[in-house]
Amino acid sequence: MKKVFGLLAIVALSLAAKPAVAHHALQAEFDTAKRGEFTGTLTKFAMINPHVRWFFDVKKADGTMDKWEITGAGPQALRQNGMTRIFSVGQTLKVSYAPARDGSNTGRVVTFTFPDGRTVTMYHEDPNNPNDL
Amino acid sequence: MNQLNRFGIAAAAAAAMSFVSIHAAQNGAEPARGGAQQQNVPTPRTPDGHPDLSGMWGGGGGGGGAVKPDEKGNLVQLTQGRGCSKQQFDLGNCQPGINFERDSGVRQRMGPEIPMYKPEFWERVQYLDRNGTQEDPEFHCKPAGVPRMGPPAKIVQTPTEVILLYAQGNQFRVIPIDGRPHDPIKSQDTTWYGDAVGKWEGDTLVVDIVGFNDESWIEWPGWFHSNNMHVTEKFTRTGNALRWEAIVEDPDVLTEPYHVEGRTLRVNPNPKATLQEDLPCEERDAVHMVTKERG
Repeated sequence: MKKVFGLLAIVALSLAAKPAVAHHALQAEFDTAKRGEFTGTLTKFAMINPHVRWFFDVKKADGTMDKWEITGAGPQALRQNGMTRIFSVGQTLKVSYAPARDGSNTGRVVTFTFPDGRTVTMYHEDPNNPNDL
Repeated sequence: MNQLNRFGIAAAAAAAMSFVSIHAAQNGAEPARGGAQQQNVPTPRTPDGHPDLSGMWGGGGGGGGAVKPDEKGNLVQLTQGRGCSKQQFDLGNCQPGINFERDSGVRQRMGPEIPMYKPEFWERVQYLDRNGTQEDPEFHCKPAGVPRMGPPAKIVQTPTEVILLYAQGNQFRVIPIDGRPHDPIKSQDTTWYGDAVGKWEGDTLVVDIVGFNDESWIEWPGWFHSNNMHVTEKFTRTGNALRWEAIVEDPDVLTEPYHVEGRTLRVNPNPKATLQEDLPCEERDAVHMVTKERG
């Protein structure tokens, strides 16, 4: 019982202030318990609110191109961390993402892998927690 | 008991606890974080004797600093839904959250007070809340408006006006504080911030606002209002703390005035602190959402 109250106290403290983050219903758009992956060419990186966007051309087996749109954190998160210039058009990136529930070519980024093997992981709080909705 | 039910109980208990702590703080039983420091500082005043509200408000605390690459050059940037103080980060006590959006939704719907709508509007409020991804104006990149936009991030005070600058959306408000009444034409306007006039009542700046549209929401849970809404905002500086409060009166839809949950901000002590340009908002999610419910 003591443990339960300890947990409640932690939750209470963490909820004491209203969250300042805008809520865009991640759970209504992406299945965060699943992961998809593709390798594509970055065609546009958009620093926009409420979430930044990466646009990709992804070559299919038959040689035709698919268009993909990947969403991430708010632009402020990238700006505060000096991450706005690490992406540039023409880069080939491997993208791990939580797929859209509507089956469209969109996703919520989990990890980008650059050609030299470096990775950039961007997520809510815990990329390995399927309940982190 | 499934996980969701257990979480619901925990969240309700947590909300009740935070209710208690908020009221304790408001009643002066418990100073706000850093309260001792704030109380020991004399309230700065302008030459005319009024408190000087000028300054950057909020920020300067929390956060773990910019992310650093590991030895292989890999970066991990995680958005913490629950703010932690620097001390919590340093001690390793910043607990990762679960159910980020759900937590937030519960918290948004459980302030110390909720607006009392006339019975004929109860269904409308529930509809707006449950269809938030479709109905919430802020979700579609429209301004939050007053009072949903909350307190400003920066205030510039002159003898005759205060200039309020907001971190989100490059928003600003310029409010006369020379005691003038509402302009008869401007007060008939229908805008997101309304027509605001301020005056000093003792050491509190009281801002009276009318002339709203009926498009903004009072707050997140579908709390709409009419274009006859009347808002009273109060700004009180004590030492290095700024207390912001807002009271909403809307006899068209509410049975009694609603007190928005007030906020106490610390002055930002960083001399280099400044407001950054906010980037444009472009709504691209709604078309992909399979439900209209938010958190």
